[in-house]
Amino acid sequence: MREFLSNPILVKELRERFRTKRTVWILALYLLIMGGIPLGFLLINPLRAGTLGENSELFLISAAIHYAMICFVAPALTAGAISGERERQTLNILLTTQLSPRTIVWSKLVTSLAFTSLLLAASMPLYSLVMLYGSVSPEQVVKLVLFFAVNILFLGSLGLFCSTWIKRTAVSTITAYGIAFCFVVGTGLLFFFLGEILQQVDPDRYSHLVVWNLPELQILAGLNPVIVLFAILDESLMPSVEFAFTPWLFFDSCYLGLSVLFVLWSGYLLRPVRRRWWSWKKHPVRVQ
Amino acid sequence: MIETVHLSKRYGSLRALSDLNLRIEQGKVFGFIGPNGAGKSTTMLILATLLEPTEGQALVCGYDVMKEPAAVRQSIGYMPDFFGVYDNLTAREYLDFYAGAYKIPASKRTALIADLLELVNLSNKADAYVDSLSRGMQQRLGLARCLVHDPEVLILDEPASGLDPRARIELREILKQLRAMGKTILISSHILPELAELCDEIGVIEQGRLIACGALDDVSVRARGITLMLVRTLTNRHQAGRVLSQCPLVKDLEEQEDGFRFRFVGGEAEKAGLLQELVDAGAAVTYFGESSENLEAVFLAITEGVGG
Repeated sequence: MREFLSNPILVKELRERFRTKRTVWILALYLLIMGGIPLGFLLINPLRAGTLGENSELFLISAAIHYAMICFVAPALTAGAISGERERQTLNILLTTQLSPRTIVWSKLVTSLAFTSLLLAASMPLYSLVMLYGSVSPEQVVKLVLFFAVNILFLGSLGLFCSTWIKRTAVSTITAYGIAFCFVVGTGLLFFFLGEILQQVDPDRYSHLVVWNLPELQILAGLNPVIVLFAILDESLMPSVEFAFTPWLFFDSCYLGLSVLFVLWSGYLLRPVRRRWWSWKKHPVRVQ
Repeated sequence: MIETVHLSKRYGSLRALSDLNLRIEQGKVFGFIGPNGAGKSTTMLILATLLEPTEGQALVCGYDVMKEPAAVRQSIGYMPDFFGVYDNLTAREYLDFYAGAYKIPASKRTALIADLLELVNLSNKADAYVDSLSRGMQQRLGLARCLVHDPEVLILDEPASGLDPRARIELREILKQLRAMGKTILISSHILPELAELCDEIGVIEQGRLIACGALDDVSVRARGITLMLVRTLTNRHQAGRVLSQCPLVKDLEEQEDGFRFRFVGGEAEKAGLLQELVDAGAAVTYFGESSENLEAVFLAITEGVGG
């Protein structure tokens, strides 16, 4: 733990990030948006004793906006992590230190995630207000927080991967958003279109009730964060899917795996000289 | 201390470095001279473990750059030709970051950083933000950064580029101190006269090939009979110009405000003969000797015809 806290990149990045006014402004703006929505909802639907615990709309809206904010913030914070070093011409110097590319990558990821997690944690108290409106169990809130955490990790590692892979921060950010769009919207559209096409091609075999519960389409649905988010909230999107597995668990496992893959791949791409590790001796030998 | 054996680097069909054989002994300052794209930075990048050679071997402090990169990195301090700094960090924090990156215990860092800042004359800027420092100060801080883990070898890629004359002199003085400390320094520069004063040996590289290497005197002038000469006269400047222009050993004669500058192809006896001719022609010679820019003459003479 001590070694973790004394990691020079963590110390430097946290120093740099939390010294700027921009950080305070981002946090303030985020809380303003996240707090403004429940407040607006309160104005429209004032709390009444009789309706307490029966209206889950606010929870749904808050969760959806929370997720949208995560999609917006998480890739942006990491998409410049490595390419920014490259543009600032500090990357080569960093690579000649004793920090391994993998250490650089995960340290950058941790510092970026720390800020996104701060945004998430700072907005969590708003859910106490949301929960007054009800129809939400503490278990759902826990699942939701876990779902958000996995999404932050995934989108962060995706941004980091793009930042390592692409030299320019602007291009890297756009690419990260593009790939994130494919996961968030693309999987949903693919799920929907495939289901509709199958129904039209062979309506007898793939009826409306059968097609959406095909294992392949269920996997596709389980990979779509929007469908999984609605499943966590016990809401259903058109068309309804009766999952044969626990969707949030499937989603979290898959996206955790993808995150690890992105981090390892980034570490490999960052190596100045990429090589097969087994081809050379592990221990330095001084040539006399 | 630094050795390259048949080192080559190709980028597709472009040969950036070709069969480089170099040996720099411990404590020597080696100057790398060559035009842009000659292969200086490529060599330095390979030595800094940042680039894979296509062929050959490079050793730093006895460690192979490809087989033992971590050991090489611990042995070198690398300063690229262009480098940036981190915003929102003070000079002290900047060095603390790199000390951490070289795994220097936190308990030793305070004293170490104070010493390094003193070495590069930045003690009074310890708490100034790095991006607020002048280019020369940032360059000196970069040099302090190179020294944070006390490396045996310094690889400095054009450290004086973009600096004003004062900053260049300050940097040169620090490099002299480092030489006195026994550091092995590989330095490249376009400011050739500066290398002449600082370097024990020079290597002239052109189109990826090392075309001359050795002690400055061996490589240049006396060995090749080529010298960049300067002649100043008090009176009869016109006569002096006539004698020089008629002398077959005088090449590239330039008349400047302070006198005549030219490349002289000949030995000591021919020089004495030329001086005699100038005196006989009635020119009041106040200076007759080698120009301080002699290294440029070496470079021009050696690279003449290369790639042509």
